Amino acid sequence: MSDIHQMSIKQLRDLIQSREASVTEITESFLKRIRQCDGKIKAFLTVQEEPALAQAAQLDRQLASGESKNGHLTGIPLAIKDNIVTQGVRTTCASRILENYIPPYDATVMSRLKGSGAILLGKTNCDEFAMGSSTENSAFFPTRNPWDLERVPGGSSGGSAAAVAAGEAPGALGSDTGGSIRQPAAFCGTVGLKPTYGRVSRYGLVAFASSLDQIGPVGNSVSDVALLLQAIAGSDPQDSTSAARPVEDYVGEIDQEVKGLKIGVPKEWFGSGLDGQIEQSLRAAIKKLEGLGCSILEVSMPQTEYAISTYYIIAPAEASSNLARYDGVRYGHRSADQTDLDSMFKSTRSEGFGEEVKRRIMIGTYVLSSGYYDAYFIKASKVRTLLRNDYHEAFKKVDFLVGPTTPSLPFKIGEKKTDPLEMYLMDVYTVPANLAGIPGLSLPCGFSQEGLPIGLQLQAPYFQEARLLNLGHALEEALAVEKPELAV
Amino acid sequence: MPIETREVEKIAELAHLKFDPQELERFVGHFQQILEYFTQLEAVSTGDVEAAHQAVEGEKLATPTRKDEVRPSLPVATALDNAPESSEDHFQVPPVIE
Repeated sequence: MSDIHQMSIKQLRDLIQSREASVTEITESFLKRIRQCDGKIKAFLTVQEEPALAQAAQLDRQLASGESKNGHLTGIPLAIKDNIVTQGVRTTCASRILENYIPPYDATVMSRLKGSGAILLGKTNCDEFAMGSSTENSAFFPTRNPWDLERVPGGSSGGSAAAVAAGEAPGALGSDTGGSIRQPAAFCGTVGLKPTYGRVSRYGLVAFASSLDQIGPVGNSVSDVALLLQAIAGSDPQDSTSAARPVEDYVGEIDQEVKGLKIGVPKEWFGSGLDGQIEQSLRAAIKKLEGLGCSILEVSMPQTEYAISTYYIIAPAEASSNLARYDGVRYGHRSADQTDLDSMFKSTRSEGFGEEVKRRIMIGTYVLSSGYYDAYFIKASKVRTLLRNDYHEAFKKVDFLVGPTTPSLPFKIGEKKTDPLEMYLMDVYTVPANLAGIPGLSLPCGFSQEGLPIGLQLQAPYFQEARLLNLGHALEEALAVEKPELAV
Repeated sequence: MPIETREVEKIAELAHLKFDPQELERFVGHFQQILEYFTQLEAVSTGDVEAAHQAVEGEKLATPTRKDEVRPSLPVATALDNAPESSEDHFQVPPVIE
């Protein structure tokens, strides 16, 4: 039997069902792995050692007595991004302003995971309030890439992706506002899904940009991601933007035939900004899709070059409004440097927020302010419509789009931190899906000469997650990517 | 169009943020660079294009409603648990009336 921490969720489920391993043994082996390597990777902000073991013991007792309801994630320990609220467990958003915040309720995804029998292993590091592409914007510490500790794991869900890649957790949840699940999944050699906007409830996801935010799973395989999505998807009366559509059978439909599918390759996604090794790896993967019987067609996404500007106007605008709630009154940090209510607000926010969060609040306030609203916010919202039209046109011709997840390989820690615009440009291939609301899946398609992971992205029309996972699974099997040794 | 320090200070005021002079200088530089990049959007023709204000096009746009019935909510003590300062059953803030 291989090490438990290297197993897929599917394998762990089988072990539990056949009683070859107890839930306690499984939970202990992930906690042991965390103790062994998280000092180097720093994926976790909070580890729930004792509560996780207590829950494991309880599940073991229930399994032994036959009382277990046998949810489809019974006994599976999971890592949750620290911007998803967990009742009684500190939730910081990697921000000083929420350093000691203990939520009085669970996010809907948490109640659903608990209902499925999953165990909370801990809360993972991220860029502060999910604003960033490297996890360097965490107020506490940066997370490191498990394939090369000198490099970033991507972001903002860098802790979730790194934890899964390193075998500290068999699966995790992240959130994706402009690529925050897919980009770290690509940088860490894991699979990450941003579902269609509204497929998964956002209740209890600390709001960054409400028209773009979406919770999604990270795993070591497409089928594990399907299992996790199955547990969290569905409409929720607590989130009026969640979609009132039935949830498909993601797990059951994963092995469908993919022959005859039409896959579009947007020519604008293979421009001069794309790293040569990534392009080469993608071209080889596209050949594999042809080998599976899919037809490959070139399509055009003409607004691609405007996606970053559009996103970095709309997302900060929404953020400036959402983050107005941090005022030091009801929860979070309150500054001692105050003489009246107004100075309390200013000091609290200035001490509590980090540089990137302040920058985005400022950009957002600016683009919404009188005199600039039409030139920036309305203009960007119109370009958003045009970008959405690009997808409409493309999906008239093809079933899916394929392209890179990131323009570059994982970069060195500190390399881009001083240049915010350069960091923003890293999101060029991920933000369009958020602006349009469609689902996107990143999966590993190879490793560079330096041994760094390369991610491939598949995108589908609204609510086509079942077919997207089906195609991703088929491609993953065809690619059979061999992973080099981890750095930990 | 170069942004002036004075203007950035005004935005900070609106956003309830403050910066020390050094921070402000660095900030104005980055702000300038980012706004400069945004000017690329001027090249996009958006004459009669409608602005997108919905995340997913075509999904039901009406706000779902429910019956106006009292439902359980957080107990006051729990809601106050995370408050930096509270007194009896309310959040405490610095005086707002002289």
